[in-house]
This record gives sequence, C-alpha cells and structure tokens, in this order.
Amino acid sequence: MTTMTDPALSPRSSGPAPLAAATGVGLRRWLASSLTQHDHFSAYFEPLIQLFLPHWSTAGWRARVLEVRTELEDVYSLVLRPAKGWAGFQAGQYVEISAEQDGRRVSRIFSISSSPAYFARTGLIELTIRVQDQGRITPWLRQHFAGGGLVTLSAAQGDFIASEGSAPLLLIAGGSGITPFRSLLQQLQRQGSARPVQLLYFARHAQHFLFREEFDRLLLDMPQFSLILLNNEDHGFISAEHIREYCPDFSARDIMICGPTPMIQAARAVLSELAVDPAQIRFEYFGAAPIDMQRANASDTLVAFKRSAINADVAAEPAQTLLDVAEQAGLKPVSGCRIGVCHQCICKKESGVVFNTKTGTYSDTGSEDIQLCISVAASDLILDL
Amino acid sequence: MTTSIPSAETLLSFEQEINAIRDETLSKVGQADADYIRRVIRFQRGLDLSSRLVIVLGFIHPLFWVAGVLMLALAKILDNMEIGHNVMHGQYDWMNDPHINSRNFEWDIVGDGDSWKRYHNHEHHTYTNIIGKDRDYGYGLLRLSDDIPWRKKNLWQFFTYLNLSLLFQWGVAYHELAAERIFFGKRRKESHLPISRSELKSAFFSKIGKQVFKDYIFWPLLCFPVFWSVLLGNLCANLIRNLWTSTIIFCGHFTEDAQTFSEEECKNETRGQWYYRQILGSSNLEGARWFHILTGHLSCQIEHHLFPDIPARHYPAMAQKVEQVCKTHGIPYNTGSFAHQYLTVVKRVLRYSFPDKAGQEPLTNH
Ligand SMILES: Cc1cc2nc3c(=O)[nH]c(=O)nc-3n(C[C@H](O)[C@H](O)[C@H](O)COP(=O)(O)OP(=O)(O)OC[C@H]3O[C@@H](n4cnc5c(N)ncnc54)[C@H](O)[C@@H]3O)c2cc1C
Ligand code: FES
Ligand SMILES: [Zn+2]
Repeated sequence: MTTMTDPALSPRSSGPAPLAAATGVGLRRWLASSLTQHDHFSAYFEPLIQLFLPHWSTAGWRARVLEVRTELEDVYSLVLRPAKGWAGFQAGQYVEISAEQDGRRVSRIFSISSSPAYFARTGLIELTIRVQDQGRITPWLRQHFAGGGLVTLSAAQGDFIASEGSAPLLLIAGGSGITPFRSLLQQLQRQGSARPVQLLYFARHAQHFLFREEFDRLLLDMPQFSLILLNNEDHGFISAEHIREYCPDFSARDIMICGPTPMIQAARAVLSELAVDPAQIRFEYFGAAPIDMQRANASDTLVAFKRSAINADVAAEPAQTLLDVAEQAGLKPVSGCRIGVCHQCICKKESGVVFNTKTGTYSDTGSEDIQLCISVAASDLILDL
Repeated sequence: MTTSIPSAETLLSFEQEINAIRDETLSKVGQADADYIRRVIRFQRGLDLSSRLVIVLGFIHPLFWVAGVLMLALAKILDNMEIGHNVMHGQYDWMNDPHINSRNFEWDIVGDGDSWKRYHNHEHHTYTNIIGKDRDYGYGLLRLSDDIPWRKKNLWQFFTYLNLSLLFQWGVAYHELAAERIFFGKRRKESHLPISRSELKSAFFSKIGKQVFKDYIFWPLLCFPVFWSVLLGNLCANLIRNLWTSTIIFCGHFTEDAQTFSEEECKNETRGQWYYRQILGSSNLEGARWFHILTGHLSCQIEHHLFPDIPARHYPAMAQKVEQVCKTHGIPYNTGSFAHQYLTVVKRVLRYSFPDKAGQEPLTNH
C-alpha cells in the first residue's frame, strides 16, 4: 500500500463565528443534550412531529412527488414540490434525495433539470434520471413513486454554475449529463438573455438524446443558441476535431462539461491538447470524482481519506480491511474488537462499494456508515476520516 | 465451574445450524423493524413528556404523582433497554437513519454512551463470562464463582448486591473508570483505550452533570411550587429503573447454572466454540410479549449474545429454534420463568458469600 497527501483535499476552514453567537449555539446544544440526549431539540421531537407530518426529517426538507414522467424508455423525470423553507437553487446545482426503501434510508444525488425561474413561478422542481442497469435506486424510484409519495430533499449544492457576466458559453454534455444544462438554458430563455451558447451533446445512439422537442423550441426562441447532436455510433467519442469543427471560437468561451467520469476526463484531455486555459473550464462528474493518484496496478483500488487529505493505493491481494489500510496510512481511527462486534470503528463512507466480510455482502454505492474492521474496498472509496 | 467442551464435529454442525438461523432472520429484517423501533421511540417520547406533567399534577391528588413516577420510570426503562441498548449494539444501523444508530444514540442514564459501548459491546460481548477479562462479571464487587478468591467482604455481599441494584446506573457509569483506575490505585500500564484518561474523565462528569441538571434541577425548578415533589418523583423513577435493569441483567448472566470460563479455554476458539460459550454463559427468561419489550429483549439473553446486532424483536422466535438446536447437540440451554430465575440469582449471591463449598451448607452455619 502506498499513500500520499493531497493539498486540494484538505478540509476547508470556515471563518470565525462571532463569539456571542458561538456561545449561544453552545448553550442551546448543551441544554438540548442534557434535557433530551440529542444535540438538537428537533431531533428529539422528530418522531412526534412525524405523527403529523409523515417523513418530516431533521436531515432535510420534505418534498412531494407529483409526477413521474417518462422521457425515454430508460429515462424519467420526477416532478417535486419541496416544502416551504426550501431555499431554492441556481441553475446547474444538484440535490440529494432520500427515501425509505424497505425500512432503509437510501440517498442519491441528482442535478436539477428545471430552471430557478420555473421554481419561482410554480414551486416545482424536476429531476431527470437515467435507469441504471442493476441499479439499486433508479429503477425503484420510478416504480415506487409512480403514484406519488414523499421524499427528503437536501439544500441545493454544488458550484457547477455559469460564470458571471455575458461571456459566450460552450456546453459539453454526455448522456444524462444534459440535465444541469437544461436548467441553465431554460433560465437563460426566461431571462431573455442574449448570451451566446453552443451546446455539444454526446449520446450513445441517435435515439438517446433527451429533450429534443424542448430544445427545438429553444432554437426558435433563442437565436444565439445553437445545438450539435453527436451520437457515438456515427461520430465516435469526443475529440479535438469535434471541438474545432463545431465550435471554432472555443478559446473565447467559458466551457462547462457534464457527464460520466470517463467522458469528462476525455474532454479535459482534449481541451488541454487544444491549449485551453484550465481557468476557463468547469466540470461536474455524475459519480464520485476520480481520486487524483496513479495506481501501482490496474487491479488496485484507491481510498481517499477526505478529512485527513490522504490517499491510499490498496492492492487487491491480500485483501485488507479498511481499518488496517487507515492505520497503515498513519491514521488512528477509533476501534475496539476488530471483529465487527463493538461498532466503535464506524465511519461514514461517502461513495464507493465495500465488501462486508462478516455478512458476505456488498454495500450500496451511496453515502452510509460502515464498520472499518470488517470492510474491504470493492471499488475506489471516499471515506470521511 | 467449567464443563467439558463438545467434540469438534458437534461444534461444527452446531455452528452451521446457528448460522442458518441467523441468515434466515437477517433476510427478514426490513420495513417492519424500522416501523417497530420508530413506534417504540414515539411512544417513549410521548410517555417521557407526559409523565413530567402528570407528576406535577400530584398537587391535586397524590395518585397523580404515583402514576407520573411510574410513567417516567417506564419511559426510562424503554429508553435504556428496548431502544438504547439495542440501538447502541448497532441493531438498527442498517436503517441509515441519522438518529437511530449506534454512532449517535445517547441514552437517558448517567453512564455516557460511548464509554458504555467501549466496555460492554467490546469486552463483555467478546469475552462473555471469562473470569479476569469480562469486567461485567460481578462488577468487581460480588463473588459469583469459585474461581474468584473469597474475601471477608463477600460475607455481606447480599446487601452489596441490593445496593448495587438500587444505584445500578451509577455503578455502570463508574465501571470503565474503575477499570482504568482513574481515581484510586495504580494506573493501568497498558491501557488500550482509544481516548485519553482526561477525555474519559471529562466524558464521565459531563454526562453526570447533564443528567443531574435535567432530573434534579431543571424539571423541579420549572415546576417551582412543587419543587420537592418533582425532585423526589424523578429520584424514585430513576431508582425503579435501576432496580429493574439490574434485576434483568443479573437474571441474564448470574443464575445458578450460568457457567464461567478461563482465558486458556477461549484461545483461538472457533465460531462454534464462541457460540457455545455465549450460550453457557447466559440464561433466558420466559414471559409475555410486553415482558420481553420491558426487558429490551434481554429476557432472550442467550439470543442477544449469539446475535447482538440483529433487531431484538426477532429474539423470541429465534429462541425456539436455538433451543431446539441445542437439544439435538446435547448443549444445555438455560431458560425458565422470571420468578424461578430470579430466585436462583439470589441463591447464587448467597452461596458465594462463603468460602468454597461451605456456602452449600445451610445459612445457619454462620
Ligand atoms: C453531482 C451529481 C449529479 C448527478 N445528476 C444526475 C442526474 O441528473 N441524472 C442521473 O440520472 N444521474 C445523476 N447522477 C448520478 C446518480 O447520482 C447515481 O449515479 C445513479 O442514480 C445511481 O443509480 P442507482 O442507484 O440505480 O445505481 P447504483 O445501485 O448506485 O449502481 C450504479 C451503477 O453501478 C453499478 N454497480 C453497482 N454495484 C456495483 C459494484 N459492486 N461493482 C461495480 N459496479 C457496481 C451498477 O451496475 C450500476 O450501473 C449524478 C451524480 C452526481 C455526483
Ligand atoms: S472495531 Fe469493533 S466493530 Fe470494528
Ligand atoms: Zn448487550
């Protein structure tokens, strides 16, 4: 196993809070924990509040699923009405939605595919979701909420938003990576913006392009918007040729890329080949961001310890528990029995799949607590440690 | 007291059958369990809050006070046993709920949860009833086996036991500190604690401060005109909870036939041997569903020790199967009514009050 520290991963420190506010918060916390054994009063009252507001949660806002609309055979949109108090979003941001699947809280991240202007007018947001082969959540959401229901919504997050000002934009989308751009384009149209936008949209087949009719209408409505559809069957994967041919003034544009991880990495490589200034480029991975470290072997997995800003390269053989991996990387996670009984070594896994040696099962891909002493990395991982 | 260990083949087939019971139950864990624990928590919260009000109504009629105290005691018992103990064992971690999980849950008792998890989940459950390793065994105050040398103080250990029961939550809170010899005696040389001694001490006092503030300052002051009546009511509720939890726990491990083990016997043990030790070291109580719930399903102490992280509401059904498997493998399975098991605990505490064997004679000898 080898490790390295990554300065880009080091924890962000928030500015110093005013002292009075800090002690006020501290006092409230102390009161809540003495009177209710919870850090916040709301956590203690949550089960009682749920009597009146099912699915009410301290971990987010309630949102009602109003409609599950089919876009393509394997793509659908969820139309959601977030509860009052949900603060809204900027075009390009994403939310985490959580729902209860057989008693288990599962959560996934999706970009909002509708515009802030639409939300302001109707109070609704849309998420457009591709059904993953053998995915645990995406096929289930579609069926389970067909008749409506309630989910928990996080605040909007992410900084994949268009640059300020009116510099021309080049948007590069791969597959379902079109979703944040739909939000952005709708927003520009609503605002009557004259900002020039070129969209290069890649998909596997000609039948896999989303929102065709909507984009046709936008083309009529927004003369400064132009769209190029490139399916992989006829055009292959993204190349420098595509950029030069369809967007010759690319170096004068702010560039945004969204899609699956390999596509983004290919697009970034192409742009650096074309000598584009990295400061001009923004991108959003539709999955865990790749860990920035070379693998010693192709079969190795990479584990990022986020809080301590250390990455580790873990060989597939012999299998090592994450507790051992963390300790060899110089970390000191809390542990006790080391055989999965005492639950002291619990740690939050933010993304990736682990194999549980006690139950012989694979974990979910999303964020959840794992026991380090009985977990082995089955894919690249990001751990909150 | 030790027994001869069954043959390796017997233990292997025993292990496989116990594993099968575990796997079958695990496959059923899901929505019903999540709904159940939420229902219990909701009921507990309602009871906790309303009991405070009913205690105050004691100024109208003392019966309100009595009812309020019983309600508060029940709320605390549910919080500590059916909710706290089970949640802190990780039985509901699969729910991925931000509050109902072993990492965040804190209970309504003076012992701080993290500290309890360290010694109970780890030492007690891994080294169940191994003399010298399992500090829960007799809590260092009682002599409950011939393997512990007799001392004069054991003569009055029945009274020590009664005191321990009444003050149980304080004993439990003090437990980990006692072992680390934080206040008295020599410092332990090789401490394997993941936190420093001063952190341990401050966690201890901080939790005590919070609990004392809640039950003996905040609520009495809030209901100022009936300050003393509220304070006394809270004290009584805590004592009732202490008596109940300690009685149930003693019935789970210190009935007359519960076995103890030496460290050598447990070196390199297989899963089957581990199961075997868990079964011999524990005893079950039979009763109605409400009784199981009030004990936090520690009435199925054997199943709790075999499957500490399976939601406890499955234990009674598993118990029937485990008992059957034990029978076919010739492994003793200790179960009986609450009254019967409790009587044997009392007998055991009395018997080991006296030096080896002598205690088997009638009490009048001394
Ligand atoms: C910022 C951001 C925005 C996003 N926006 C969108 C969006 O707008 N629309 C959208 O559709 N998606 C979006 N995603 C992706 C989305 O969050 C999830 O990747 C997707 O929903 C997972 O679907 P699932 O839960 O059904 O599949 P999962 O159960 O998570 O499985 C995902 C895939 O991994 C494979 N897999 C599962 N287990 C293993 C294993 N053990 N080993 C190897 N492979 C395995 C499965 O076959 C499946 O194909 C976004 C992601 C991010 C990070
Ligand atoms: S160290 Fe005890 S469960 Fe992992
Ligand atoms: Zn236990």
